[in-house]
This record gives sequence, C-alpha cells and structure tokens, in this order.
Amino acid sequence: MIGALQLLGTALPVLYAVCAILHGTAFGGDRWTRVDPLRRHVLNVTLALHLAWFAARAGEIGQFPANDSWSTVSLIAFSTALLYAFVARVTGHSGSGGVTLGFVFVVQFLATGIGAIVPTAREGGMGAWPITHVATSAVAAAALALSGVHGILYVLLLNEMRHRRFGAWFDHLPDLDLLSKMMRRSALVGFVVLTVGLNIGIALAHAEKTPGFDYKLPEVALTILLWIHFGVIAFSEKIRGFGARRASIAAAYGLAALLLSLLMVLLPHSFHSKL
Amino acid sequence: MDPKSTLTLVGLSHRTCPVTVRERYVVSQADLPACLASLLQIDGVTEAFVLSTCNRTEALVVAPRGVDVAARVRAQLFRNLPDEHVYVYTDVHALIHSFRVASGLDSLVVGESEVLAQIKRGSDAAQAAKTVGPVLRPLIQQSLHVGKRVRSETEVGQGTLSVARVGIDVASRVFGTFEDERALVIGAGETGVLVARHLKEKKIGGLAFANRTLERAQNAAAEFGATAHGLDELPALILRSDLIVACVEGQTAVIDASVFDKRAIKRRDKPMLVIDLSVPRAVAADVAELDRNILLYDLDDLSRVVNENEKGRQRAVDGTNEILVTELHKFLSLRTYATFSPAIAVLRERFEKVREDVLDQVAGARSDPKDVQLAHELTRKLLDVALDQMKESARHTRSEEALDREYQRFLENL
Repeated sequence: MIGALQLLGTALPVLYAVCAILHGTAFGGDRWTRVDPLRRHVLNVTLALHLAWFAARAGEIGQFPANDSWSTVSLIAFSTALLYAFVARVTGHSGSGGVTLGFVFVVQFLATGIGAIVPTAREGGMGAWPITHVATSAVAAAALALSGVHGILYVLLLNEMRHRRFGAWFDHLPDLDLLSKMMRRSALVGFVVLTVGLNIGIALAHAEKTPGFDYKLPEVALTILLWIHFGVIAFSEKIRGFGARRASIAAAYGLAALLLSLLMVLLPHSFHSKL
Repeated sequence: MDPKSTLTLVGLSHRTCPVTVRERYVVSQADLPACLASLLQIDGVTEAFVLSTCNRTEALVVAPRGVDVAARVRAQLFRNLPDEHVYVYTDVHALIHSFRVASGLDSLVVGESEVLAQIKRGSDAAQAAKTVGPVLRPLIQQSLHVGKRVRSETEVGQGTLSVARVGIDVASRVFGTFEDERALVIGAGETGVLVARHLKEKKIGGLAFANRTLERAQNAAAEFGATAHGLDELPALILRSDLIVACVEGQTAVIDASVFDKRAIKRRDKPMLVIDLSVPRAVAADVAELDRNILLYDLDDLSRVVNENEKGRQRAVDGTNEILVTELHKFLSLRTYATFSPAIAVLRERFEKVREDVLDQVAGARSDPKDVQLAHELTRKLLDVALDQMKESARHTRSEEALDREYQRFLENL
C-alpha cells in the first residue's frame, strides 16, 4: 500500500502537468488537433488515479484521507480539477483548461512535495462533522479558485480584445459571456458550499471549545471576508454597476485572498495546524 | 491585349493602405459620373471605369498603345498619396487584377460576393456616362463571368462570406449566444440588411434599425421584425444596445463620444461591441476611450481577424489559378481575334469579288446554277480554311503556359 501511495503521490503532479500541457496545446492552433480527444481521457484517468490515491490513503490509516493540512490541499487540487472537468463537459468548452489545470498542478505539486508520503492516522480519528467541514471547505476553495481563474481570464480576454490583439487567447478562450458565467456560477457554488463549511467549522469550534479559536484571528476573519466577497460576486448580476468586468476583477482579487487564507491555515502557528 | 490600345489600372486597396487613408478616396455613387468624366478628359484616355468599395478605389482606363496615362490618372484620383499606397497595373496584369477582384480573391474576406454587385453598379454608372466602349465593356462582362465561375467551381464561394459575417463572428466571441443581446444597426442599406440577416440567424434578442431616412429604416425593420428609428434617437438607442453595427454611406462620422451617456455606460459595466463597417468610418475613434467595456472595431481590425486564419484563406483559393488562367487565355484570344475583324471583312469581300469575276469570265450569263453553287461552296470552304488558320494563330498569340507564368509572376509581386 505504501508503495502504491508513493508511486501515485509522485505521479499525480506529473499527470496534472501533462493535463495542463495537453489543454494548453489548444492554443498552438491546428497542428495540435490530434491531441483533442486525448485531453479529456488523460484528465479522467488522472482524476481516477487521484481518487485511488485518496482510497489508498484511507485504507492505510483507516480514516478520512484528508486528515492533515497537505492532504487537504491535495483535496482542493482534486476538487478543482473535478469541477473544471464538469464545467468543461457542461459548456463543451475546454479553452480555460490550460490555465486551470496549470493552477491544479502547482497546488498538487506543493501537496506532494511538502506533505508526508506515508500518512499517519489522526489520534481519535475524525467525526462526521469535522469530515464534512474539511470536505465542504475544500470543495468551496476549489470553486472559488475556479471563479478567480475565470475572472482573470475574462479580464485578460477583454484586454486583448480592447487592444485589438486577435491571437491565441482570442481564438481559444471561451467567449466573454461564457467566461463571466463560469466565473459567477463557480462563485455561487463556492459561496453556498463555503456557507456550509464555514458554519460547521464555527459550530465545531464553539462546541468543542477549540483552543486558540477567535473571530479576530486573520485566518478566520479572512475566510469570513472571502465568504462575503464571493457572495457579492455570485449575485453581482443583480447589483447595479457591478457587471462582468468589475466582478471578474473582484474574483481575481478573491483568488489572491483565497491563496493567502489557505497559506494562513497551513502555517504551523495557525489554530487549524494544532488541531 | 489589343495591339492598338493599352489597359491601365490605378488603385488602392486594403492591401496597400489602412482605412484611415482609404476613406479619403472613396468615390460615392453620386460622384461617379463626374469622376468618370474627369478621367475621360485626360489626354489619351478613351474609356474609363471606376470601382469604389469599402476595400478599394480603382480606375481602369484605356489609352492608345504607347501613351502612358498612369501618372495622370493617379494625379487625378490619388493626388499626394505616397507610392506605397497606390498600385499600377497595365495590360495583362491589369486584366489579372480585375479578374481576381471580381472573384473575391483580392477581397478583405476572400470570396465575399458583394464585390460582384459593386462591379455591376460601377459598370451601370460607366454605361450611363458612356465611358465604356469596345475594350472595357467585354472586359467587365468577362470579369463578372469569371467571378461567378470561381465561386461556383471552387471553395471560394462556400460559406457565404462577407465582412458583415466576419463582424458577427467577432461579436460571437463577445456574447457567445445572441438571445439576450440587443443590436442596433445604423444604416439600412445592403450591408445593414445583411448584418440584420446574420443577426436574425443567430436569434438576436432585440434588433433596431436607425437611418437618416426613416422610411428606409422602416422598410428594413419590417423584413426582420425590428424597430425603426431616425438618427436623432441614437443616444437613447445606444444605451439600450449591446452590439452596434454601423454601415453608413456618408462623409462625416455619425457616432462620436458625445452621443454616448458616459455615466450610464460606466454604470452598465457590460461589454458593448461597436463594429464600423463604413468607409469613410462612421464611428469616431474616441468612442473606444469612453469606457473599458467598449470594443470598437473597423474594417482594418476585421481584416486582422481574417488574416489570422491564413491556412483557411489558402485552402479557399486552391483551384482558382487554373480557372483564372483559362479565362484569361479565352478572353485574350477572343480579343485578338476581334482585332482581325476588319481584315476578315475585307478578305471575305475580296474572295466574293474574285469569285464573281471568275464566274463572269468563264461562263458569263450562260452559267449553270449548279456551277455557280459549286463555285460559291468552294470559295466559302477556302475562306473557312484561311479563317481557321487566323483563329488558330490568335489562340496561340499567348499560350496558357505563358499566361500561367505571367499569373505566377503577378502573385509573387503582390
């Protein structure tokens, strides 16, 4: 089992890099049309192997597999790739795959590189509520990351079109309308799931009187701000003067704040790390 | 070409200059008669034809062989324009260029068919002004024939290409689908109607026409179930629109920054695509600076979009060379043969006179009708042999191989 975990752990970042490159080749023009069918297959295989890695981990420790910080980061990478695969399938457009899966590669690379290859079981295990809190928070982070990436791509494409540059971005990214929909809907999913994850987390902290928990802690305050921020983005269509461009810029800043928030959670002195 | 005359073509197009230059040299339909008349006043010019579209303005003139009129035509139409913006073709190269233009091979969007109607309109104006004659009239007819043949026999005509279509394709990169978008078409002419047709195909959510003449806007709007407005309603219409397409004929900009409500545009925070298909341009450049959500494109920008797809462009023109060279050969042979017409008439007359003389001398008034018929038959056959020989030599004046080499040379110099 350990051998399988080592092998999969090493293979996953490489596979996500391959996925990102394959999706990136769409920008290379007609020369790369032969790899079109490969993209989806390789991504599906990678997701299946990532799932197998979690299963192997769960089998090894007999607990929920995302039981420490870096395995949770890996869960975020997995959720982002899974959500992207779903979005690409629904919209029929894989133009943003190169950038999104590039982001997934970086996240998974960090998770594999820094996290322990041999998992250790958590003392006392994890209850249903903490598992729900971790799972929903990871899915929310993935959806918000997806929203941020599509926000960046929206601003980038709008900028390219404003400057009359009709190159690879113009040819291969989804249209502006689709990018804004991807950005808003991902924000909506992230907001709803984060509502669940955040509330469970806060309830758990109160119920279990978690040591060191405080609303004033940067990691908690920033997460609450993120929740409000993406909530506004999710419903920005209803807000006068807060259209696709401003919402996209906000989503891009939101992604930066999300990464900062994750960093704070992962830092050794955070109260999450001491749990 | 005709051994007695020279064909000269002087022009500018999207290949040689940007729209900012082209728009200064547009000859409107109303100005065509005066322009043609001024060309005929140039010493030596016997026939003249002017083609002015949003992509090109060019004059095709005929002068006696040995008389160079290019400089004077250029001075007349394109005064003070740097050399790099103007092209001059003579004789076979002028013919090749004319055929390529009619075939849509020299168009901004390869294969677009609007140019055929524009040539037809130019030809009608030249006929009305009596500036086309025995050289240009058949040449224009042949160009139209070549244009239709290339479109029907090659991939050039597939896909109903036009600048209007390219504009709508660009719009789909902004809006994706058009069901929730509202479009405003300024100008209810041919291009405006074509744009509306494409938008209807894309199931546009709302469509409005604005035109100087309200009646014309109403006619166009009725066809598409759109609303019709005068230009005075532009500020309100623009605010309600996501896509604005200007296809206006006129010398001054119809839309400038003052037509836009800047505050409302900023509050809107949604892409507004403004496509200007007019030459001269109908939308002032400062409109693009009003807000980061405004995307303003003119014909040159659309040409950049088209040129990105060089491969598709190349695929479309495959197979056109052969047709063009064959048609060139056919046309030149006919022209050369036509120059023999007076000689043929003289020859026929002489043959008949000799025959009658011989019959008179040999048989006189007592000639048998059978002998007369035999003599007639014999002279006709002898004459046919001579004429066939002339036709054959006309056909070989320029071989297809030589014309093909000429055509390749022309393409290399493009």
